[in-house]
Amino acid sequence: MAPASGAGAGTGIANREGHTDYDIVWPWTRPGGLRPGSTAVLRVKDEALSLPWVLPPLLRAMDHVLLVDNGSTDASADVARAVAEQAGHASTLRVTTYPFAVARAGAEHLAVHEQSVHSLAYFYNWCFAQVQTRYSFKWDGDMVLTPEGEWSLADLAWQVGDVQSIIRVPRHGLYLDSSRPDHGWLDLGLRNAEEWGFPTGPDFVFTKAFEWEVRTTPKPVRTIGLPFGLCVELKYLDGDEFAHWTDPSSFATSFRNKRKRREWEVFHALQDGTVPVGVHEISSPAGVHVVDHVTRTWLPQAPRPLEVGTVVTSDDRASS
Amino acid sequence: MLFVAGAGRSGTSTMAGLMQILGLHVPRPEVPADASNPKGFSEPQWVVDHHDRLLAEANVQVSDARPEAWFETGRISTREPERIATSQWLEGHFAVNSELVVKDPRLSWFLGLWRVAAIRTGVRPVFATMLRPPAEVVGSKQLYYANKLGSAHLTASWLNMLLHTERATRAEAGAGRVFVRYGDLLEDWTRTTMRVGETLDLQHVLHADSERIRDGHRFVDPSLRRMGQSLDDLALPTRLHELTGETWAELNKLAEPEGDIPAVHDTLDQLREAYVDLYAESEAISRSSVVATEHRLRRRPGQGAAGAPKPAPAPDSGFAADKVPHGLRAAVPPSVRRGLRKLVGRER
Repeated sequence: MAPASGAGAGTGIANREGHTDYDIVWPWTRPGGLRPGSTAVLRVKDEALSLPWVLPPLLRAMDHVLLVDNGSTDASADVARAVAEQAGHASTLRVTTYPFAVARAGAEHLAVHEQSVHSLAYFYNWCFAQVQTRYSFKWDGDMVLTPEGEWSLADLAWQVGDVQSIIRVPRHGLYLDSSRPDHGWLDLGLRNAEEWGFPTGPDFVFTKAFEWEVRTTPKPVRTIGLPFGLCVELKYLDGDEFAHWTDPSSFATSFRNKRKRREWEVFHALQDGTVPVGVHEISSPAGVHVVDHVTRTWLPQAPRPLEVGTVVTSDDRASS
Repeated sequence: MLFVAGAGRSGTSTMAGLMQILGLHVPRPEVPADASNPKGFSEPQWVVDHHDRLLAEANVQVSDARPEAWFETGRISTREPERIATSQWLEGHFAVNSELVVKDPRLSWFLGLWRVAAIRTGVRPVFATMLRPPAEVVGSKQLYYANKLGSAHLTASWLNMLLHTERATRAEAGAGRVFVRYGDLLEDWTRTTMRVGETLDLQHVLHADSERIRDGHRFVDPSLRRMGQSLDDLALPTRLHELTGETWAELNKLAEPEGDIPAVHDTLDQLREAYVDLYAESEAISRSSVVATEHRLRRRPGQGAAGAPKPAPAPDSGFAADKVPHGLRAAVPPSVRRGLRKLVGRER
């Protein structure tokens, strides 16, 4: 098997700016090494609105959830703690802070050295260096699991053990109408199954790609995937869903950015009052938020296999 | 939806059979009784066939001691076609009965798949795991399944199954799972079964009529527990012996009232980790045996390595010598064969 790269060698990475308290120390080199189990790592910036939906199923599914707050101004960290407490899983959640501004995806990212504290790759490596378990899931602060998704992830979280396999989790954009909590649009026109679960170790660290970070892997590497219809990604039509990108031209042309272009199209079409092909307009019963309705009723009751549209390759790994 | 899990020969048939007598439905056709289980298995044939096929695809044995085997069956369980097939089967049977019981010694490998099927069907999955002293389980397997595997292997596979079955159902601790000692079931099945019914809220158990209870007494035979050996009789490697003893002690706590608690789970996590380490060490030490077996399989005439496709037949070379039977060619001394090959320009 060919090694992943040299990126995970040694005991860690010292950043170029000399912030030694934020140097990266690989967790597998620490005394005692790694523990069995799985950790979900969320890097969040202003996700307070979404976390009450995101965290409860994730806290139940994982051994540990690590939330890294990166400059939130909406008290995301406090909301996370409160949600975990309310869910009875306060001990599963750990909150920490990364204080440096991180380059936005696209041109800004490309201009930053990967050993800078401002690099996406460095930021991700720092976040995952806080993991103490043998397996970890990258997770976004707006990704919500259905009950089947929760159980599927909960099973794999312990079943994976020391197996060196990547786990893909398909997700579908759920666009929210801020004026009507019982109304939203689910994009099943996009076939999107990104790699979210990775073993913790020197073969699986982050390095720099053109528009964003990419995780190294040995070659060949095993990959398994969950079925469609188990996870949604919340998109707020009154929010700036593309703030983490330098500008739209950063994802305008490459095949790698096909997912982002689809999101851009759907987002703006819905804002203009048009429902693109493959997007389902959904209204929930009175008193039920559309996120709860979609994740607990609409998606679980949708016929299987779930009908999803255009193929997008796993090369589309942009964080969001 | 009651799933009866646990190692084979642990009283799973007795538990499922009692549930069936009390009114829960065992989907038909059932696996027919045989000498190893004269009162019947209470196993749906479809479930057994389904599991056999999935285990074969995952390359996992029913008694598999490898911790990584859980990921292999978990991987198969993520497949949408298997989720659909399992859900559809379940749905069809719920159309005729409100409470089902599914039992199969292979079930533990696919608890996640069945839980998903239950969620999709809109029913609540609950789990009963049978506990029997590991020495008795191993002894019973050796007696009834024509022992081809040593006691150390059978004990390791028992540990692997029980430690991970507990982990797989832990989220249901409290109201969705019970651990039942086989000995308790034989000693007083009414008390034991009522605890199961109350904990899991099984309506057919809670409201069983007198005739069904009489049938229960006709069914349960305390002499079923024929094995009496102890761990010492198995002559296990020291660390495996210790781990098995400690695991059995902890699992027993789960069968006590109010015993399914985080402190016990933590200890079982440590034992599971210790077993994973022990298995990894043993696997590393015995690598030469695996390599030797691989070589032996490759050399066996007409067979490739397990699972490898057979090589396609060689195309006709057109040389007359290739049409001479191999046995006859082999009779030609090597030095002469080399000379003949040189003559026709086919040196190796």
